[in-house]
Amino acid sequence: MENRGFLLYPRVTLKINKLRFFECGKQLVSRGDYCVVYVFPPVVFITNLSNMSSFRKALKSQQKNHKERSQPGFRKHLGHLEKKKDYKLRADDYAKKQNTLTALRKKALDKNPDEFYFKMVRSQLKDGEHVANKAKGAEETTTQEERKLMRTKDLRYVELKRVAEAKKIDRLKSELHLLEADGKQKNKHTFFVDSKAEVADFDLAAHLDTAPELVDRVYNRPTFRTLESRSIQGAVEFPAIKKLAKQRKLQYRILSQRIEREKKLFVISQKIQTRKDLQDKNKKVRVSKETVNAAAVYKFEAKRKR
Amino acid sequence: MRPGFSPRGGDRGGRGGFRGRGSFGDRGGRGGFRGRGGGFRSPSGEGGFRGRGGGRGTPRGRGGRGGFGAGRKVTVEPHRHEGVFICRGKEDALVTKNMVVGESVYGEKRMNVEEGETKIEYRAWNPFRSKLAAAILGGVDQIHIKPGAKVMYLGAASGTTVSHVSDIVGPEGLVYAVEFSHRSGRDLLNVAKKRTNIIPIIEDARHPHKYRMLVGMVDVIFADVAQPDQTRIVALNAHNFLKNGGHFVISIKANCIDSTAAPEAVFAAEVKKMGSENMKPQEQLTLEPYERDHAIVVGIYRPAPKSKK
Ligand SMILES: C[S@@+](CC[C@H](N)C(=O)[O-])C[C@H]1O[C@@H](n2cnc3c(N)ncnc32)[C@H](O)[C@@H]1O
Repeated sequence: MENRGFLLYPRVTLKINKLRFFECGKQLVSRGDYCVVYVFPPVVFITNLSNMSSFRKALKSQQKNHKERSQPGFRKHLGHLEKKKDYKLRADDYAKKQNTLTALRKKALDKNPDEFYFKMVRSQLKDGEHVANKAKGAEETTTQEERKLMRTKDLRYVELKRVAEAKKIDRLKSELHLLEADGKQKNKHTFFVDSKAEVADFDLAAHLDTAPELVDRVYNRPTFRTLESRSIQGAVEFPAIKKLAKQRKLQYRILSQRIEREKKLFVISQKIQTRKDLQDKNKKVRVSKETVNAAAVYKFEAKRKR
Repeated sequence: MRPGFSPRGGDRGGRGGFRGRGSFGDRGGRGGFRGRGGGFRSPSGEGGFRGRGGGRGTPRGRGGRGGFGAGRKVTVEPHRHEGVFICRGKEDALVTKNMVVGESVYGEKRMNVEEGETKIEYRAWNPFRSKLAAAILGGVDQIHIKPGAKVMYLGAASGTTVSHVSDIVGPEGLVYAVEFSHRSGRDLLNVAKKRTNIIPIIEDARHPHKYRMLVGMVDVIFADVAQPDQTRIVALNAHNFLKNGGHFVISIKANCIDSTAAPEAVFAAEVKKMGSENMKPQEQLTLEPYERDHAIVVGIYRPAPKSKK
């Protein structure tokens, strides 16, 4: 029980059925509202509970959820029945588009064909984007030196990341030796024999003393003696081998991704370097344009450094 | 952008990952190779990697055991060259059996395999760093470096490749590692401390008489000195230390010999030079995709005259 003075006086909670008062202090009361009425003879206080959010929420817990029906069976051929929620999304979207269209239409109608703004002269469309032309003598926000420093910092950061990547590649390569890699560069194997006759009936499998089926397995073509006298060790059961193959494949994928990333970082650092070099006011000729995979190449006039 | 390679390691389209083209354990409809040779024996003597042809189904390699616990994380397959192995798990690597268990020489990865009670450790041998490893994965016929062999290694540098050669020749073999740079030599000495079959020699390989007292006859000379007069250096050492009918394995970096000529021409010129030094080349192999414009030449020194049939 709360111990606030006036609460000790008799009070009643009631539902307003017939509206007698329109206003009670600052609180509006209407029909159907729940109110607490404090009786302090000769005064009566009313608190409108329906305005208290907690009370409203409490009321809602009792009320039954409104359920939307789905498409009744006999109308099934008409397809899915849209719910209010979906309709709302669709309608809002439609309204938004219509509003935009009307606004644009209105703007077009209101356009003054003789209008002129200075911005029309001072800006320009570059790569589909409006950019302001620099006014002559406008103040630069950064100095040449500062920009150079920014480039240097960018360059250092990219280099740092690239070197880190290269180290990881090295570590991976030290245990992934491309034994069965697809499309790896082919090497060239030459055998020197004594006579033309030997060239004519040269048989690689026989020369290597291995099974003909193994000839293409360049990374290991065991001799017959090895095959007969030695055995495989470690994981030899099929499920284990399969699992390992999967892990190995993943490792190779990681490796090739890292190689790609390192290449990209290299290109980026080259491009930053070129931009930085271009800031110098030396005479230069462009030899080749910048591409996705390569920085532009410039030829600078040789200048003696003091 | 297309990546430089797309590994085929996995099992796409139902083809098992480990079963590469015509490899062991060809279980699919590809027939495998049954006749002579077959595949490797499996450790338990049944199933395993024998070419089975036709039939699918789960292999019964080892009854009931299996699982994927410790020591089962890799498959180790003996290589054509004795003492060398292929290790496939998450890794896909050329390896040698580590002679000094528990230690890496240059930060390379180690893999363990338990076989019953014994535990064997292997070390990854990086073909991107070692020309000999690149040649092995490139399919070279002979390296002549095998357990028990006596090897002379010219241009040992810090001993990275030398350590793997030492793994291969094992305790019965010997590696004379010649390197003239003192800086690399320091690392080489450290490697040799742990591996008793390495005899480090910090001398110029152009003056074999300086280390004549240290070196006995050897079976193979391996050279990776990256010098324009490399063939002459090898010949000098061969005349002093290589037994008749012994072999040489020379790594040639085209740039080091003539940076203007085409690599092919450089290799051919070197091969010709060898001929005039009593060194008979038997095979030549370029080292793509691991090295560019490099080749390995393997040959025999003073072969015994061919007996007329
Ligand atoms: C390409 S590196 C060898 C790398 C090493 N084979 C490996 O795979 O780890 C060549 C080495 O030969 C050494 N070298 C060059 N000329 C030499 C000479 N005349 N005698 C001895 N060593 C030499 C260099 O110091 C260098 O360390």
